[in-house]
Amino acid sequence: QSTIRWRLQTYAGASLGAQVAKPAIDMFNAIAGDEMQIDLFYADQLVPTGELFQAMQRGTIDAVQSDDDSMASPTEVTVFGGYFPFASRYSLDVPALFNNWGLNEIWGEEYAKVGVKHISAGSWDPCHFITSTPITSLADLQGKRVFTFPTAGRFLSQFGVVPVTVPWEDVEIALQTREIDGVAWCGITEAHEVGWADVTSHFLTNNISGAWIGHFFSNMERWNELPPHLQVLMTTCFEQSHYYRQHWYWAGEARLRTESKKLELTSIPDAEWATVETAARAFWEEIAAESETKAKVVDIFRNYNAAMDQAGRPYRYS
Amino acid sequence: MPYEMIAALMFGSMLAVMLTGQRMFGVIGFVAVVAAVWLWGDRGGHDLAFAQTIKLMNWFPLMTLPMFIFMGYVLSESKLADDLYRMFHVWFGPVPGGLAIGTILLMVLISAMNGLSVAGMAIGATIALPELLKRNYDKLMVTGVIQAGSSLGILVPPSVVLVLYAMIARQPVTHLWAAGLVPGLMLAVLFILYIWLRCRMNPALGPAIDPEELAQVTTREKYMLLLSGLMPLAIFAVMMVPFVLGYTRLVESAVVGAISALAVSVAKGRMTWAILETCTKKTLAISCMFLWIILAALAFGAVFDGLRAVDFVRQLFMDNLGLGRWEILILMQVSFLLMGMFLDDTAMLVIVAPLYVPIVQMLEFNLIWYGVLYTITCQIAYMTPPFGYNLFLMRAMAPNEVTLTEIYRSIIPFVGVMIIGLGLVMAFPQIALWLPSVLFP
Amino acid sequence: MPRFVMTYLHMVEALNYRVGRLAMWSLFALMGVLAWGAIARAGFSPQIWTDEMAQFLLMGYFMLGGAYSLQMGSAVRMDLLYDRWSDKTKAAVDCITIFTLIVYLGVLLWGGIESTQFALEYGERRRGLWQPYMAPIKIIMCIGILLMILQCSAFLIRDIATVRGIKIAERDTNAL
Ligand code: NA
Ligand code: NA
Repeated sequence: QSTIRWRLQTYAGASLGAQVAKPAIDMFNAIAGDEMQIDLFYADQLVPTGELFQAMQRGTIDAVQSDDDSMASPTEVTVFGGYFPFASRYSLDVPALFNNWGLNEIWGEEYAKVGVKHISAGSWDPCHFITSTPITSLADLQGKRVFTFPTAGRFLSQFGVVPVTVPWEDVEIALQTREIDGVAWCGITEAHEVGWADVTSHFLTNNISGAWIGHFFSNMERWNELPPHLQVLMTTCFEQSHYYRQHWYWAGEARLRTESKKLELTSIPDAEWATVETAARAFWEEIAAESETKAKVVDIFRNYNAAMDQAGRPYRYS
Repeated sequence: MPYEMIAALMFGSMLAVMLTGQRMFGVIGFVAVVAAVWLWGDRGGHDLAFAQTIKLMNWFPLMTLPMFIFMGYVLSESKLADDLYRMFHVWFGPVPGGLAIGTILLMVLISAMNGLSVAGMAIGATIALPELLKRNYDKLMVTGVIQAGSSLGILVPPSVVLVLYAMIARQPVTHLWAAGLVPGLMLAVLFILYIWLRCRMNPALGPAIDPEELAQVTTREKYMLLLSGLMPLAIFAVMMVPFVLGYTRLVESAVVGAISALAVSVAKGRMTWAILETCTKKTLAISCMFLWIILAALAFGAVFDGLRAVDFVRQLFMDNLGLGRWEILILMQVSFLLMGMFLDDTAMLVIVAPLYVPIVQMLEFNLIWYGVLYTITCQIAYMTPPFGYNLFLMRAMAPNEVTLTEIYRSIIPFVGVMIIGLGLVMAFPQIALWLPSVLFP
Repeated sequence: MPRFVMTYLHMVEALNYRVGRLAMWSLFALMGVLAWGAIARAGFSPQIWTDEMAQFLLMGYFMLGGAYSLQMGSAVRMDLLYDRWSDKTKAAVDCITIFTLIVYLGVLLWGGIESTQFALEYGERRRGLWQPYMAPIKIIMCIGILLMILQCSAFLIRDIATVRGIKIAERDTNAL
């Protein structure tokens, strides 16, 4: 019997992918052995990231690691991929929301409609501003050209932020050539890992989201062709990837904030930042009004966050 | 069939089909889609080729390509360089070999105003070459001078080749352009040295201008001509200063350059509707040639990626051949030179650079420096038969008295000089890296 | 050559010429959009649409201009052997090898049509703030590729004529 071969392309470039994708794929390949092998491809290698979804839906690529937003998936939940502003505060929020508060079912259903298997959701890193000039007040956001997620860009533009679209791999160059002033994209760990910390100077501690929601997907037909034990193995290895990422990011956040000399930390006073948080609630209403599914997801976010606030310490420090 | 066999087969069949003389982009694309459909046809292998159009669309700096090409055509078609040529003619004419030396300097100035070698070739072959031949300059030498001099267009900023390299190697264009400047000037100096030495040994190669002819030029006119040299410097400054200071982005600077060249030609009364139309048409022709080759080569490259050709090349160089880092680097340059003889340089860049860049990175060589090495190699490839853009252009534009054999023979000493230049940049990376380190500390 | 073949040939060449001339002038639209983006950013407020619009224009430029550029003979060939052949030999070889272009462009069109169907079915939009629909540019690209295939068929007709010793007047690509 011949080896099953899959091609998986990640949204991440080679440097980040070495942390957030490769270990899990290597693990899967080592366990599956002759039965199945996954070939890993980094951002834009086979198809550009914007085409990832179509390529997977058609089967050009068997599986994908991405958030919904970056790969422009044509589903009702796309807007929640990447960073939905202030929906999560800690990295454990995402697995809780998906596994216990019902998001898994919604995602599974939405993707099944378009011929894609949603394998698993994970909690990725927080979203901060990392820029080449300090940000100490909301006014500093005016006119900042920033690389960010589409949804975050849509939200942030009300504060004068100008979202700029460049391929992920070109961000460092765009920073160097001053095409953009910074990113609103990740935490301090990723900024160091991919080299952005070398070409920027400031890190804003206020984040617009505590954890980004990212996923593994596959072509539905391909998934159904797999024997059940390989399905289980793949799900496990991908879960392991999310887990690895959680502690990798989390460990880096504290260490790099205190030890790294590359980025200077600044903050916007809490009272002023509260304006942004209030704006996020209004943004949620706007999104919820767009469709029933979106309303359902926003509702879950709202209930979850209310519960966490009520639970008080240690669940929510405020 | 093992993947490395398929990759080798793809490369081999591409070269073989190319020998039939069919249009290159078609051949490259053909091999790519046949391989993709054969390998992954049941799994949508056929849409790999089209997906590359989106990748091309995302390559924002690619927009500089038509701009720099247009700029070059405005310079050559509207005869903006006539005064420049006359300046060098008057000032360098009395020296043996001076007109050839002046032509090299002319090429340097033209290189600072366009991103390819086309404009330099056009100006060199139509303005400089007939004049030089009329004055009994050695045919072989001047034919070589123009081909070699115009190839500086891709090394001296702005450079389209370095923009392409920047997109593939993911390095900042600013740094690459800065890195190309000093080696470009160094090559110009080496060319001049070569010409000067040859003409000293044998003054018949480049006779000095008749003093009587020069006497007709008044001193005032002589100094006025110097002013014409300011024009290219002004265009260069208008284009580059806002860019380096961060006011304009790369593509916008290219637009600024194109518009300022147009403005100068209008101001000088050289622009007519017919010339504008010719420039626009030729820009379309050359831009399409490049973009279609890049699109096809991207598909080829995607299949290569799918076959993991990088791993195979890495294994070949590092494990199988057991070479040291410098040996690998030299081997890569040699392979580029060999491929450059037969392959379109752009296709070569898009297909081969993605395989080589990770290796260069792994060997811990500087990618900016490597970009300069690559570009000099490209310059050589532009001139070496059987396939080379400058050769084609020379053949198309040179006066009838210059034969094909002469064109081929003329480049030999200049290729030698360029290989020396390549060696110098390899041995002393600071030649390339000094300027970027000063400009971008 | 049969009359309807000649009619087809002239129609294809005329069509590609017209479309190509249109694409040719769009270079100035590209310049205008990019310049406007720079001016607006420096002068008042950054425009959200200029970058994507410029990208679309560049794609349209070389896709719709492709067939005309082929007419002008701009595509490079490896002419080591080709150059030494007689016109008849060249035409005979081209009759066969033109299918490399047709196959490549055909597969490109195949992928393009699927991608366009996707864009239409799901209302695909481009990433970023402006979020323009992708279907129009994909349709334009498909049209460009189709025109190039038609141009290849015109080349084939001309080459067959040359092999059979029939002279067809060259099209003047310089005319206005
Ligand atoms: Na140049
Ligand atoms: Na060559």
